[in-house]
Amino acid sequence: MLNKLKLGIRSKITLGYIVIILCLLASVVILNNQITSLQKERNFIIKYDSNVKTLTNDIEKYILDMESSQRAFIITGEPSYLEPYENADENWKIDFNELYQQMKDKTSQQEKLKEIEETIEHWIETTGKPTIQYKKDNNTEALTEFFKVDNGRQDMEKMRKLFDSFRATENAYTQVKASQLDKQNSQLTSGLFGILIFVSVIAIVIASGISRSIVKTITEVTQTIQEMAATKGDFKRRIHVNTNDEINELADATNILLESVEKREWLQTNIADIVTKYQGISAITKLAETFLSEMAQKTQASLGAFYVREEAEDQVLFVKKAAFADGDDRVGMESFKIGQGLIGQCALEKRVLIYDNIPQDYRLIRTGLGEVRPQHILLIPVIFENEVIAIVELATMAKFNALQQELLKQVTETFGLTVNGVLGRMEIVRLLNESRAMTEELQVQSEELQTQSEELQMQTEELTMINEQLEERTKEAESKSRELEKAKQELEESAEQLILNSNYKSEFLANMSHELRTPLNSILILSEMLAENSHNHLTDEETEFAKVIHSSGEDLLALINDILDLSKVEAGKLDIMFNEVNVSEVPIQIEQTFAPVAKKKNIDLRITKADNVVDVFYTDEKRFQQILKNLLSNALKFTEHGSVTLTIQQLAQQQLTNNMQEISVDWLEITVSDTGIGIPKDKHQLIFESFQQADGATVRKYGGTGLGLSICKEFSKLLGGWITLQSEEGQGSSFTLTIPSLPNGVEENHCDKLAMKEIAVTTEEETHKEEPSQKIEKVLQHEVEVFQGKNILIVDDDNRNIYALKTALETRGMNILVAKDGLECLEVLQAHHEIDLVLMDIMMPNMDGYEAMTIIRQQMKRADLPIIALTAKAMKNDRDKSLQAGASDYISKPLNLDQLISVLRVWLVSKGS
Amino acid sequence: MEQFQPLDQKIQLNKQTNLEIDLLLEAIYRLSGYDFRQYNRSSISRRIFNRMRINSIPTISRVQEKAVHDKEFLEQLLNDFSINVTEMFRNPSFFKAFREKVIPILREYQEIRIWHAGCATGEEVYSMAILLQEEGLIDKAAIYATDMNEQVLKKAKKGAFPIHKMQAYTKNYMLAGGTHAFSEYYKTDYQYAYFHPTLLKNIIFAQHNLVTDQSFNEFHVVLCRNVLIYFSPKLQSQVHHLFYESLSDKGFLCLGDKETLRFEEVISKYREIVGNERIYQKND
Repeated sequence: MLNKLKLGIRSKITLGYIVIILCLLASVVILNNQITSLQKERNFIIKYDSNVKTLTNDIEKYILDMESSQRAFIITGEPSYLEPYENADENWKIDFNELYQQMKDKTSQQEKLKEIEETIEHWIETTGKPTIQYKKDNNTEALTEFFKVDNGRQDMEKMRKLFDSFRATENAYTQVKASQLDKQNSQLTSGLFGILIFVSVIAIVIASGISRSIVKTITEVTQTIQEMAATKGDFKRRIHVNTNDEINELADATNILLESVEKREWLQTNIADIVTKYQGISAITKLAETFLSEMAQKTQASLGAFYVREEAEDQVLFVKKAAFADGDDRVGMESFKIGQGLIGQCALEKRVLIYDNIPQDYRLIRTGLGEVRPQHILLIPVIFENEVIAIVELATMAKFNALQQELLKQVTETFGLTVNGVLGRMEIVRLLNESRAMTEELQVQSEELQTQSEELQMQTEELTMINEQLEERTKEAESKSRELEKAKQELEESAEQLILNSNYKSEFLANMSHELRTPLNSILILSEMLAENSHNHLTDEETEFAKVIHSSGEDLLALINDILDLSKVEAGKLDIMFNEVNVSEVPIQIEQTFAPVAKKKNIDLRITKADNVVDVFYTDEKRFQQILKNLLSNALKFTEHGSVTLTIQQLAQQQLTNNMQEISVDWLEITVSDTGIGIPKDKHQLIFESFQQADGATVRKYGGTGLGLSICKEFSKLLGGWITLQSEEGQGSSFTLTIPSLPNGVEENHCDKLAMKEIAVTTEEETHKEEPSQKIEKVLQHEVEVFQGKNILIVDDDNRNIYALKTALETRGMNILVAKDGLECLEVLQAHHEIDLVLMDIMMPNMDGYEAMTIIRQQMKRADLPIIALTAKAMKNDRDKSLQAGASDYISKPLNLDQLISVLRVWLVSKGS
Repeated sequence: MEQFQPLDQKIQLNKQTNLEIDLLLEAIYRLSGYDFRQYNRSSISRRIFNRMRINSIPTISRVQEKAVHDKEFLEQLLNDFSINVTEMFRNPSFFKAFREKVIPILREYQEIRIWHAGCATGEEVYSMAILLQEEGLIDKAAIYATDMNEQVLKKAKKGAFPIHKMQAYTKNYMLAGGTHAFSEYYKTDYQYAYFHPTLLKNIIFAQHNLVTDQSFNEFHVVLCRNVLIYFSPKLQSQVHHLFYESLSDKGFLCLGDKETLRFEEVISKYREIVGNERIYQKND
């Protein structure tokens, strides 16, 4: 009740002072009264005392006057002396009464006064009056008589005594009174102090009470504020003041301030919160989602959608980027144009639109349990540079309060910048991404281009090669066409002969099979009989001849059979049996067979077998023998004079090509050479064909079937080898049979191919002179190409080094120039522009390698000249300095020749090849 | 991050062509197991058009037909698709940076496993081996060099590189901070430079397809330079994921100079060691 009463600090203080002043006033009044009464008392006492004394003295005086007057009269008789007496007699009683009156409350004193009165009256009655009468009467005697007794004296004495006693009593009384007064005085003094203390106490109490009530609330306020300050923004607290004074008002005002601060704080915290949430977001959808979910959370919105402005095909659309609490696609609008519907209106007007009268059929907020209609809808435009770039729509089941609206407003105010930023960033990311894609694309294309250029280069090379081949072929074609021309003519001629030939062939074959067999049979039988020498009339030599005849006949028969087999061979139907062959026996057999013929023709038959030939050789002996015999008989046949030589040798390991090695390690090379008529080059191929001889003339001169060589060729193929021919017309021929030792028989395809290849090679031998190992040859050839004729400048001051290098490089076909120091090097380079490469030592007199290289690169502008620095044992310093000076490469000493050659290859090979 | 298609592709390839390429790539995948379906379309299409030009094939569908029926042609096509442009010490500054920034860290390790993904003909693998040898780390290193193309792996195993490229390689080697003479590492004949077989000692060549195969070990360094440029962004992300999984903590990822992690999701899990050289280190 009292609290409700408004009691300001001023009133409190005023009240306090008034109380104190009142207290002071009261005490002053009390004191004043006290002092006044004390004064009165004293005055009374003083007055009384003096009065009593005066009266007493007056009475006494009167009495004494009366006595002296009486006496003077008595003595003198003069009546004038009686005047004082009479006067005193008249007056004393007045004073006395007055005195008596004064003593009215002091009976003892009154009694004394009564006694004094009695005494005085007694005196007057007994002394005064009689004596005076006596005088007047001149009754001296009576007088004398009277004075003889003098009773009056006694009275006087008594009166005096009584007065003294009275006075003493009065004095004592006054004394008592005075001491009483003193006592009162001291009481007053102590009372004064008492009041002082009392007032002081009251003043202190009031002061402390008031100050406490003021300070307490202030302290409370201060404390609350301090606590808020200490908690750094806990604006939830409020200041509670129980008093109802200005502090309370201050507290209220502060609370209001706090409330607004709290709201602002809430706003700011939430804004900051939201702003933080969408920091680092770089996709507008994510941003929109974050924004919506944050806003919904802060404002208890239950439904939300976020539309972003997009320009497409001259049309501005706001496209929904995110929705809140909108699980399925029940969304009203995916996009809208400016001015379309309320939301479009919002975009148009660029201001917040608030709706709270939501029609009944408005879309519903869906919860797990059911659906609710929103109560309040907010449409907020997000503005950037005075343009609406996005629209946020929020709906709630309750109402957006002012604070929430304010939050929405403030957040969206700055949100424009963010949206724009994110859009910008997205654009930047998109562009960057695009640029990255383009960079990558560029790289891809450059690599593809490189690949393609490499492919192209290969293709170009191929083309060049094809071109070259074509040119060659053109030439060949030209010559061939000439040959063809010739051949055509020949063909025409031979066409005519062909009929004849064909007849001849069939006739020949018929003869072979029938005619020849008959005489041959008789020869065989008869020669056998002869050889048996059953009658013993033949010499040993003759017997031997007969044996030869027989064996030759048998060979012949076999040959005839084989001729028939030739067709089988060509059809691939001939069986070959690979068996052990004793090579050492071959010469003997040959000798036995052909020596007589040779002897007869007076031809020198030489048979040689190299020492390295293996004894056991795997091949088909029959065919092998037949080849040899055919070749030999051929040789003997076409040789008029001179010699026929049979050489058997084994091919050395290094002579074998890889392909040959794959087939067998043992290869025999049997050469039959003669000094006969020879074969013209253009017939070399021809003679291996069936039924062919070099020309018709030969046939006529030497006869023969022309089958021998083709059989040899076919058989050699069957044995896994081949036959080659070297011959010049008139200079004799040399047939070489090359066959492998094949314990396991022949793998037909392989050998065939090989044979073809080898023959192809060997038939072209005259022009190419290729070694069997093509690869090695090629390598050497390239090696020669890389180094051949290249000009190398060696710059070194050490003669031993120069010599070593020079020798090593010259053997590889390089031309070497030498310079002894950097200066000389420069001179040589000036003089010889053809130098392809420089080997540069570093430590040299006059001018060292670094300097020389620097000059070559910078002053002579020879940027492309390969310079290989020869540094001392790979010091990093050397290396760096060489590179800085412009060395293309470096090699550390001591030089490793292999490494040097490798480096030279690298730097001498043309970059493009 | 929103995916997008390279501009080029949108413009160049119409729907029909795209369909044909889809079908062809599907066929190739089914036939050979090589999956080019997620490769960079523009590159693939150019390779196809190139092949069509060379073989005078009028349509992509015909290419498909030929690929289905002609095994050799399929091989040819596969070869066309795998671009194997590489050099020794390609982008020398990368190797220099690797030597200066990464090697000191690797030096502390007990063993160093390096995965060279998409090694092609192996030039960079040998470069790395040389670098490691010069830094004295080759003995505790294992370089897993993989490529999807077995033909190029065969070549890589030979370690024989065309001699006419050696001048450029020498220059690269020197720029990359090589401490020896480059010629110490090879011998030559008239057409090839043969790298010393001791370099091969710690190199394991294996067939591995980044598109279809999984990680096979944990590596301290993954090098994949100028490979991802052939992939679509999606495939790139997939492969980056694979790399991330394959790297040990604080492992290094090295990309080609035109490649970047910047737009990849995994960027947050790496920090750039040498940004310009695309050397990234995986966070703990």
